[in-house]
Amino acid sequence: MPWKTSVKATLGLALTGLVLGVFLSGCKFQPGWGYNKGYQPEQPIPFEHSLHVGKLGMQCQYCHNQVERSQHANVPTLATCMNCHMQVKTDSPHIQKLAETYNKGGTIEWVRVHMLPDHVQFNHSAHIRRGVNCQTCHGPIETMQKVYQFSDLSMGWCVNCHRQPENNAPLNCTTCHH
Amino acid sequence: MSEKNRPEIQRDQTYWRSLEHYNQDPEFLKLAETEFQSSPLREGEAEDGVARREFLKLMGASLAMATASCVRRPVQKIVPYNKQPEEITLGVPNYYTSSYFDGSESMGLLIKTREGRPIKIEGNSDHPLNRGVSIKGQASILNLYDPERLRGPKKNLFNEKRTNKDTIGANWDSMDQDIATQLKKGGVVVLTGALSGVANRAVVKDFCQAFGAKHVQFEPLSHEEVRAGQKACYGDDLVPFYRFDKAKLIVSVDADFLGAWLMPMTFSGQFAEGRKDIETMSRLVAFDSNYSLTGANADIRVKIKPSQQLDVVLGLLHEIVVKKGRSSHAGNGAVKSVVDSGAGAAARLGIEPALLSQIADDLWENRGRSLVVAGGLPTLTAQAAELQIAVNFLNQVLDNEGKTIEAKNANVGLQGSWADMLALINDMKSGQVKTLIMHKVNPGYVLPKALGFFEAVRKVEMVVSTADRQDETSGEAHFIIPDNHPLETWGDAEPVSGVFMIQQPSIRPMYDTRSFQLSLMTWAFIAKQGPKRLQEYETYYDYLRAVWREEVAPKVARGKSFDDFWLEVLQKGVVGEVGSASGRSFRTDAFTSIKAPKAATGLELVLYPTVMMGDGSNTNASWLHELPDPVTKITWDNYASVSLGFAKKNSLRQGDVIEVTVGGNKLELPVNVQPGLHDDVLAVAIGYGRTAAGKIANNIGLNAYTLMGFNGTKAIASGLPVEFKKTGKTYELANPQGGQTMEGRQIVVEATLKEYLKKKDANIHRHHIWSLWSGHQYNGHKWGMAVDLNSCTGCNACVISCQSENNIPVVGKKYVLQGREMAWIRIDRYYVGTPEDAEVVFQPVMCQHCDNAPCETVCPVVATTHTDDGLNAMTYNRCVGTRYCSNNCPYKVRRFNWFGYAQNIEKPLHMALNPDVTVRTRGVMEKCTFCVQRIKTAVNTAKKENRPLKDGEVKTACQTACPSDGIIFGDMNDPNSQVSKYFKEERAYGLLEEWNAAPAVRYLTKIRNNGKDARHEKGEHA
Repeated sequence: MPWKTSVKATLGLALTGLVLGVFLSGCKFQPGWGYNKGYQPEQPIPFEHSLHVGKLGMQCQYCHNQVERSQHANVPTLATCMNCHMQVKTDSPHIQKLAETYNKGGTIEWVRVHMLPDHVQFNHSAHIRRGVNCQTCHGPIETMQKVYQFSDLSMGWCVNCHRQPENNAPLNCTTCHH
Repeated sequence: MSEKNRPEIQRDQTYWRSLEHYNQDPEFLKLAETEFQSSPLREGEAEDGVARREFLKLMGASLAMATASCVRRPVQKIVPYNKQPEEITLGVPNYYTSSYFDGSESMGLLIKTREGRPIKIEGNSDHPLNRGVSIKGQASILNLYDPERLRGPKKNLFNEKRTNKDTIGANWDSMDQDIATQLKKGGVVVLTGALSGVANRAVVKDFCQAFGAKHVQFEPLSHEEVRAGQKACYGDDLVPFYRFDKAKLIVSVDADFLGAWLMPMTFSGQFAEGRKDIETMSRLVAFDSNYSLTGANADIRVKIKPSQQLDVVLGLLHEIVVKKGRSSHAGNGAVKSVVDSGAGAAARLGIEPALLSQIADDLWENRGRSLVVAGGLPTLTAQAAELQIAVNFLNQVLDNEGKTIEAKNANVGLQGSWADMLALINDMKSGQVKTLIMHKVNPGYVLPKALGFFEAVRKVEMVVSTADRQDETSGEAHFIIPDNHPLETWGDAEPVSGVFMIQQPSIRPMYDTRSFQLSLMTWAFIAKQGPKRLQEYETYYDYLRAVWREEVAPKVARGKSFDDFWLEVLQKGVVGEVGSASGRSFRTDAFTSIKAPKAATGLELVLYPTVMMGDGSNTNASWLHELPDPVTKITWDNYASVSLGFAKKNSLRQGDVIEVTVGGNKLELPVNVQPGLHDDVLAVAIGYGRTAAGKIANNIGLNAYTLMGFNGTKAIASGLPVEFKKTGKTYELANPQGGQTMEGRQIVVEATLKEYLKKKDANIHRHHIWSLWSGHQYNGHKWGMAVDLNSCTGCNACVISCQSENNIPVVGKKYVLQGREMAWIRIDRYYVGTPEDAEVVFQPVMCQHCDNAPCETVCPVVATTHTDDGLNAMTYNRCVGTRYCSNNCPYKVRRFNWFGYAQNIEKPLHMALNPDVTVRTRGVMEKCTFCVQRIKTAVNTAKKENRPLKDGEVKTACQTACPSDGIIFGDMNDPNSQVSKYFKEERAYGLLEEWNAAPAVRYLTKIRNNGKDARHEKGEHA
């Protein structure tokens, strides 16, 4: 074997080992790592769940009003915000920004926190129907000043719950992947 | 395994896929044994420039990078509405009723929209006529999102000779002013396609009244010959409504009523209806010049050439009226003298005299319950008028008039005419036309050059077109004012007299376009001319409502207030019903004055429309081109079909290019050697060879309209003498079904009616099956599908429906040639019999969702698994693309995604994707899922409403598209479900039952009502 080839082979092996090592130690043994758990992006308007849910005690479904009917937990329309903010805290620059955008017919581009890959079909309404609490997956949302991803939303995390006999949840691949 | 060790396979010759198969061509056998045509060795030519191994290397590198930095990911934005639209729930589809008119048939539609985007077009199940939707109707969604649509009005800056095409954007106001001023000068002609719908016709009529304009209607597939025949025989200038469901014996003379003639979706439903009860099923006899879909479904098919069409009808008349002396016309000397020329027709047709007299006897037996039809391009011969009159007379003799032929229920909108179009060209040439407004016509593409359309149109002072692109004709227009897509605009339709449909927009116009009708209203408003209702309404919607209030509601509202009536119409999409009919009196002198058929020798031309292309309009849609022709199965081309005998005589092979000359017009076409054709026939499909339709349709195939001839004002599409010359060139035709065989196994099962009556499971070879394994337990649902081969007409509507529902990519001709087509459901076409008189059987094949699925056991990464409701699941994100499953699948239904087709979807075509189905990337195996997304939606809905799932609530995409109810889906654990009942039928069998893969799809035997004792004279199935 010419030495160049053998050097290449050794290097190749080493690289593979490194990749595998990173892969195993990184994503496998440290739960959550690689799944954006804890992801807490800045939002265009610093909306506080802790204030609206925690302090004011608003129902989740007041804003996320389609969650019982749809697979998506919709982000509220600007009109929903304006239901209260026509009157409430109109002196805040953030609310002024919101009101201005609303009056212009524009919209706010929120940064998505919980993101599933395109090949996963998750249905909120089916889980709500079975009485799963929002907090079970989304964490103590009533205390979050800025929303972060509480669960790792990995497949193992989904399946763990679906496997509990008391949940009587389907375990078919087609439940989520189609 | 080496060639030598391979066991000798006993090949049954009964069913065959291609002539090479029939002849056991060594090249074919090699192909058949290869199983997979595509090999990784051939794919250095990846279209995105990254070959697979290169890709794997890159993937390896990016995996390493991704692992090192796996906390970050692309940032996505959530963009909420400003105000919540009342009717929209994110992720929940809305359905709107609407209609689609293809120039001949109006179909009721249900448009599925998601977040305001139409994503799927289905049939309206409440509709009294059509159940499914035609291929072109379904594919019209691609026309909506066509990236090449004009995005606003255009003005053409012509040079003096008007030969250039320098378009600039036009300003609405000044353009409308210019046009209105021009219109006031008079000499206005509105040239449109056929117009279906009361309001659609009224607005043109009002406009014509306003400016003293002339309305000319032109359709290439005009049905003018049928109207002329009706006028001569009954004095009614109309296309009657036919009742194939009421007819026990149907004789079709080149009328492809199941494929591309008149109302194929409605007629397919009727035809299936007349055959659902097998013991009393109807019989279809087809005299076929081209191998049409109707011929393929015929119980008895007789190949003819166009010059024999009239002979067929006179031959039948001779048998009935002269030979047997039946009917009140028997003693009529004048009738006899015409009918006498039909004597000896059987000999001229080359069939047994007993067969013709048998058909004639059966017709007489079933008088009042039979139907003879002729029409369409293949019957546009020099004797088209005589043929129609003879057919009408035959129906009169058989007392069918008013029973299976209903003039009262005619579609009054079918007024397209070649004669009027030709007259208009003369008017334009003589300078009588000052303004020409064109809508839904493309004479620049359809009319042969020699007619001088372009010279004529350049003499018109102002030409306005409403085409959605700068096509062959609108390139000649001063102004192109793009019409809205039918999904963007209001309209109406009237498929038969008394049934009214609404065309409801399901999306706001995507671009700066305006509906044709509103344009007419605007110009009338600016010019301050015309009836009040034309000027006073601001939108076409208001006008439409006014017309419905005045003209439709009084007929069908049944005393409801108009607003209630209107809401009901919008919800149901259709109102009114098919009325009763009564007979008319026949003008016998119309028949006695017809000329006898002239015998012809030599090769004759047959032009025919296909189910995919129709007349060639709106063909810039990839689905249409990749869809195999129902009979030839060839994609992406048109070609000259000739018989095997002709090919042998002239030593032509499949793909040889010949130069075809018809009346001085030449085309170089590849040869398709077609079983079951008359030796004197050369058949070419129209609708191809567009030059300005868009990137997809341009220069695909050749324009066969150029071969048409004209006799005065009569268009002649068939029966013209053809000369041909070999060119020595060859051309590859992409046929995805050349290389597969049944290998003598029981795949498709047929029986004759006589066999069936003796033994209901005739010809099904049952196997004793045993298993070591107890099998799956299904405690909830167990999904299953039944396919009734006796209902399936092979029309391909299911294939397009599946493609639309499941985001299936189009691969292009090059990859179809390599066997990489992606369709999840295919319709296998088998020939049976000799190549001279081959009959056809169709069989839709999709994933069989086997209980003991061979694919599941071989997947090394468990990407394909079995679910607890009996589905064979395919998990794309798990698949690594070993293709073991495809190799192990006995049905060849697993399709491998070789390239990143999805990444190449040009915007805004991506808006047609179904968000409920994952868009697959390259390197992934995919296949039919039984529309699992639909199952899940229905199951979840039932659960939410705390009720059990109803039978029929889950409908797969293929099922909804089927015009003849040939596909039934449901829960097999429910003994009362329709699918369970089908499964228990004696006609039911599974594919390759003996292997005990236990498929969840069962087929029901096809029954041929051909009067024969046995399907196969020699040799049974293995």
